[in-house]
Amino acid sequence: MKIISFIAALVVMVAGGVLLTFAQSAQGQAPAVKAKSTTSPPAKTRRTPWGDPDLQGIWNIATSTPLQRPDRVSAKTVLNDEEAVEFQEELAQELNRDRRDGGPEADVNRAYNEHWMDARRLEIVKDKRTSLIVDPPDGRIPALVPPTPEVQKKREAGAAAARRFAAGMPRGPEEMSNPVRCIIRTDRPPYLPTIYNNTYQIFQSPGYVAILVEMIHSARIIPVDGRPHLRTGLRQWLGDTRGRWDGDTLVIETTNFRPDSTFGDADPSTYKLTERLTRVDPDTIAYEFTVEDPKTWTRPWTALIPWNKTQDQLYEYACHEDNYDIVHLLAGARKREKAGEAVK
Amino acid sequence: MRMKFLVAVIAVMVLELAPLVAHHAFNSEFDSKRPIKLRGTVTKMEWINPHAWIHVDVKKPDGSVEKWMIEAGTPNTLFRRGFTKNSLQAGTEVLIDGYQSKDGSLRANGRDLTLPNGQTLFLGSSGTGAPYEDKTKSK
Amino acid sequence: MRSRLSIFAMGVGLAGIAGLLWLVAIPTEGQSTNVGTFPGSYKAPRMPDGKPNLNGIWQAFTTANWDIQDHEAQPGPHPELMGAYGAGPAGQGVVEGNEIPYQAWALAKKKENYENRMKVDVSSDERWHDLGDPELKCYMPGVPRATYMPFPFQIVQGSGPEPYILMAYEFTSSTRVIRMNWKDEAPAESWMGWSRGRWDGDTLVVDVTGLRKETWFDRAGNFHSDALHVVERYTPVSPYHLQYDVTIEDPQVFTRPWKMSMPLYRRMEKDVQLLEFKCVPFTEELVFGPFRKRSSE
Repeated sequence: MKIISFIAALVVMVAGGVLLTFAQSAQGQAPAVKAKSTTSPPAKTRRTPWGDPDLQGIWNIATSTPLQRPDRVSAKTVLNDEEAVEFQEELAQELNRDRRDGGPEADVNRAYNEHWMDARRLEIVKDKRTSLIVDPPDGRIPALVPPTPEVQKKREAGAAAARRFAAGMPRGPEEMSNPVRCIIRTDRPPYLPTIYNNTYQIFQSPGYVAILVEMIHSARIIPVDGRPHLRTGLRQWLGDTRGRWDGDTLVIETTNFRPDSTFGDADPSTYKLTERLTRVDPDTIAYEFTVEDPKTWTRPWTALIPWNKTQDQLYEYACHEDNYDIVHLLAGARKREKAGEAVK
Repeated sequence: MRMKFLVAVIAVMVLELAPLVAHHAFNSEFDSKRPIKLRGTVTKMEWINPHAWIHVDVKKPDGSVEKWMIEAGTPNTLFRRGFTKNSLQAGTEVLIDGYQSKDGSLRANGRDLTLPNGQTLFLGSSGTGAPYEDKTKSK
Repeated sequence: MRSRLSIFAMGVGLAGIAGLLWLVAIPTEGQSTNVGTFPGSYKAPRMPDGKPNLNGIWQAFTTANWDIQDHEAQPGPHPELMGAYGAGPAGQGVVEGNEIPYQAWALAKKKENYENRMKVDVSSDERWHDLGDPELKCYMPGVPRATYMPFPFQIVQGSGPEPYILMAYEFTSSTRVIRMNWKDEAPAESWMGWSRGRWDGDTLVVDVTGLRKETWFDRAGNFHSDALHVVERYTPVSPYHLQYDVTIEDPQVFTRPWKMSMPLYRRMEKDVQLLEFKCVPFTEELVFGPFRKRSSE
């Protein structure tokens, strides 16, 4: 009996000790919520109460300015006012979903009326650049490194699958792209404008910046507390991100991508993505990203995309849950095969 | 000059398809050789992603009814413009101009969706008094 | 005999250390050593705007995802393949009084759900969601199930004028935004619902409506309709715990509102972070396999 009560007391005491140790390690970890005693920032820079540059809010990243500079304007990095008006009009005319010209093949791919789209995608960037890419100076993605036989084989297999998909004859889900399969979409950095749902919401707490992306409903939660990256063996669809403040700029470095989720199928072991977010005025974030992979491109390249503050809300973009299309496509393909259709 | 520029732009767009296409390229599912024009009555609308679906009863000349599913865009764009799940009521008549699915099922994309008075469905903002709106719910 | 003595000696030594720590612990923590109860006087650390700071990575350590009511351990499906891997743990229920007040038809439906929990048939759009646990198919789990799945979630709470709190869940990268003091209703139903928050003292109260009828409460087939109204209460009760209390109301399925509660634990590992559980590829063969081109065809 005595022994039992002794053991019971012991258990309680050890538990108390464990709790204390737990408490100490917790305090070591908990981000401090005190305002930073930094040198006084420029008056115009918005800061959070704990002293970080304030990027919070809902942002629309759409634009009609293409990632790469079109040939016709290749001599021009920036357009004058008149040229910019023409550039915007022509891009908008091309992107317009209400037009019915161009033949049935173009028509079916225009899919549905314009108002299902993001209207902001018809506007060029305010600084009238002719491409989102700012480096190299020609505004184009640099030349590819000659592919290894392995890479070449992978690209050819991908192209064959894409051909079957385009013909509506995919063999299985893995012949479809990640967005069609509802795995990742615009949430895979670098963030690029698309035709709709270009809304991004930034949250901040002491030690973290989180970027919520509407498609496909994932949040990238970025530690800005100096901790190391995940070890290289732990790969993710959205990679592994770490942030740091460089003056008013959030610098994000992302590594640890899975091989099927890098930009342009770059080699994940040598691929590096660096993004910089700077709130250049109350209504604009300058979002700049640099991608580099010596195994894929002959040099690093950089694009600059303005994020515009919006009064819009983000809404849930569930995808896999009601992805009827994937069954329509697969079941439709099997039905057509039975009827004797085939795709090489 | 303008034309040449346009061609260049199109070429670039083809190269840079990835960031510009919808959830799936519609020509993989719908057949450019099967254009259709339907007049039908909405039975329900599914306000779901990645694509909204509008279910429509189409009366054939012989009196029989075909049940069609019309694929549209992401509903989130409509939400941002003030529309809600109450914005398209069952019983609303719609005209569908689109393309039928390649496997011959009673599915089509709603390339152009209009009301019998010629107004484009969901064009304009909610609360405009459009005949298909549930006025008790609009803002 | 000898080994007993040495254990005793070791025990005395440990007790001495633990006792010292305990003495230190009492004034520092002001906390009872009776684990499981917390002093009502605990006051959470504040954000600069004076609101309790709920930031962190949290996780429920309960088996409620298997069954929110009392349940015995049970073998999993295909024990001839899965052995103990697929088996479900026993657990004490998280439902107040262990009773879910189903309407008679709904209780029958719950049992049917359980029987069909591992069946999937998406060959018809109309019957796409008729069979199977949404978790099995990697669908977003809804609220409150997202909170007590065996995966962590993270709260990102700012301070100041932005009226938003982010809740991000590891399971299939589900997310929801808590809109504070918000009036607008959901434009349509969604999987994670429409969450509007307010502070009640130290408690974050989240009112959730606009939930899709297809989500379940657990693998036991407990379900609801799209009339579901969830009120969640997150109360910090120690530096490492939130008390999570939920009220469930759905007049189409239940005869009265009912409650669940459990503690949520702060994840303490150094540099712990939410990882990805993007399970869509894990379910493609199950869900879409029947429509795949077979090599024999």
